[in-house]
Amino acid sequence: MPFALCLPKKEGRKMAKKILIVDDDPDLVEAVTMILESKNYDVAAAYGGNEGLQKAKSENPDLIVLDVMMPDKDGYAVCKELKADAKLSKIPILLLTAVVSKIPTTRYTQQMGLETEADDYIDKPVEPEVLVKRIEALLIKG
Amino acid sequence: MPDQVNILVIDDEQIMRDGCFRILSKDGWNVISAENGSRGLEEIKTRPENIDVILLDLMMPGMSGMEVLDHIRTIDPNLLVIVITGYATVESAVEAMKKGAYDFIPKPFTPDQLRIVVRRALERRTLQKEAEILRRERERTLRDIATEKSKIKTIINCMGDGVLVCDRDSCMVLTNPAASRMLKISETSLLGNFLSECNLPSELSKTMEESLQTRDTGYTSVSQELSSGDPGEIFLRAHTASVRNDIGEVMGSVTVLQDISHLKELDKMKSEFIAMVAHELRAPIAAVEQQLTVILNKMAGELTEKQEQLLSRAKERTKGLLNLIKDLLDLSKIEAGKMVQYKEPLSLQEVIQRVVDLMRAEAENKKIDLQFSASSKMLMLMIHADRNSMEGIFTNLISNGIKYTPEGGKVWITLGEEGGFVKATVSDTGIGIKKEDLPRIFDKFYRVKTAETRQIVGTGLGLSIVKSIVDAHLGSISVESEEGGGTTFTVFLPKESTNGPPYKEEKS
Repeated sequence: MPFALCLPKKEGRKMAKKILIVDDDPDLVEAVTMILESKNYDVAAAYGGNEGLQKAKSENPDLIVLDVMMPDKDGYAVCKELKADAKLSKIPILLLTAVVSKIPTTRYTQQMGLETEADDYIDKPVEPEVLVKRIEALLIKG
Repeated sequence: MPDQVNILVIDDEQIMRDGCFRILSKDGWNVISAENGSRGLEEIKTRPENIDVILLDLMMPGMSGMEVLDHIRTIDPNLLVIVITGYATVESAVEAMKKGAYDFIPKPFTPDQLRIVVRRALERRTLQKEAEILRRERERTLRDIATEKSKIKTIINCMGDGVLVCDRDSCMVLTNPAASRMLKISETSLLGNFLSECNLPSELSKTMEESLQTRDTGYTSVSQELSSGDPGEIFLRAHTASVRNDIGEVMGSVTVLQDISHLKELDKMKSEFIAMVAHELRAPIAAVEQQLTVILNKMAGELTEKQEQLLSRAKERTKGLLNLIKDLLDLSKIEAGKMVQYKEPLSLQEVIQRVVDLMRAEAENKKIDLQFSASSKMLMLMIHADRNSMEGIFTNLISNGIKYTPEGGKVWITLGEEGGFVKATVSDTGIGIKKEDLPRIFDKFYRVKTAETRQIVGTGLGLSIVKSIVDAHLGSISVESEEGGGTTFTVFLPKESTNGPPYKEEKS
């Protein structure tokens, strides 16, 4: 499904921010897309690490929601390459982590996020309000 | 007839022989006569067992009574001889007695006197026979014991399980080849040495020493797992129990060792399989929950009340599944040794305070009084541990306390110091744990099933995770509980040594 072609721009509003979702699970991409579109974001999707890097360049997104576990190139590697690219390093990255563990809550994920220079992280599945709040915060900061 | 009493009369005088015969036959005794010493000796030689008492005249032509007595003594020193002295001389009687005669009777004697002397000798004879029977029995018993001992030794030596036995002075008195093989310690380095000299794994010798000192008179056995720590590791399970005598004193200690390496290997494979399955399940379930979330947020259109209700319940179920998967992953990570990764000096008090603050809302919801009294001294008490794991332990224990305590109850935490350890306890006034459930409480997937616990959600992994973390920090955890009387968990963790971390940072 070509999400990039969905253009939920509404008249009388300023240009919608564009968010790139990178996840190898199409069902998850679809669900997150629906959440973001309901909040009037412009959404582009990539279904793997390499495609994500490519779309990051071609789509010029305002923010990237990036899955960690992907078969071709994982989120940490993608994150590293993005931050190393002068043109792309300014794009905030929200790392989408599969819940790793019940016991180490904050510190583990924080550490991983910081080590990979991601700007924030969120466990999936996500609650729509939480996701949107985090994205808004990153966009304001950026 | 075995009970037939045989009396041999050796006398050269026909009158004496007949007289004795007449008197003694009346009492039902069989009287055998011999007219001189050599005839008498022949009688004795042909049936030494059957002669009970010998009446021997000292004054005889040919072989004298004294000579006959000497011969009798060489045939069987136990034969009872009563000497008949012609002259009532004390000297000859004393001499005969010195040579081993049992008694004497001076001539002339009355029938009653004879009877008394013979009867006394026969009583003695009976005692002798009984003593003989007892002696034989004892001999047989000793032989049986020897056979039994050799049998047991053979059994023990053939056993696949290792056996170690020490006496109450901590000296190793019995081992078998399997024990030497498992412990990689030669038999000569074990047998006859004190426990402290045997080079046993320290946990094992400690347990054995303890079992020698235990005062508990009930049957107690301690099981523990030992690992060599070498590459190609051997895992042993050791069962130690004290040996007691009939009045309950500890006489020694027995340990049986089992090689459980292959079980460990299987267990590891199982854990890896579980981890793999959990990983594979997590992604699709997370996706399903994400989809449900979108639908429930009406981002895919309006819902009827019924649809919303059903989907909410479906989402609860996927949440439960994800929790289970998280538990499973935690467990397999701990087993793979990857969980405890960032050890650092920590104040346990700080960790517990944080957890208590986080749990307060949950406790207040259930109207449970959650208490943690902290002292400034404890704040300085450091352990060397992984912060997340420590938070995990106390989150788990405190949350269990809240879960299993009815409204209005109390959960309290104490922190102290004991030996080289920091000691923390988590107690509650909850429903408690049945005695039969206590030993299995730290097992994987074990949940106590009662009417009260049915409503409480859980995977049965929490405490086994807690135990794995405590183990990985070289600590220990124990539980005390009474059904209906609350539960106390006690955790010991080694204090941070002042000269730096006692072990290397483990980074996987």
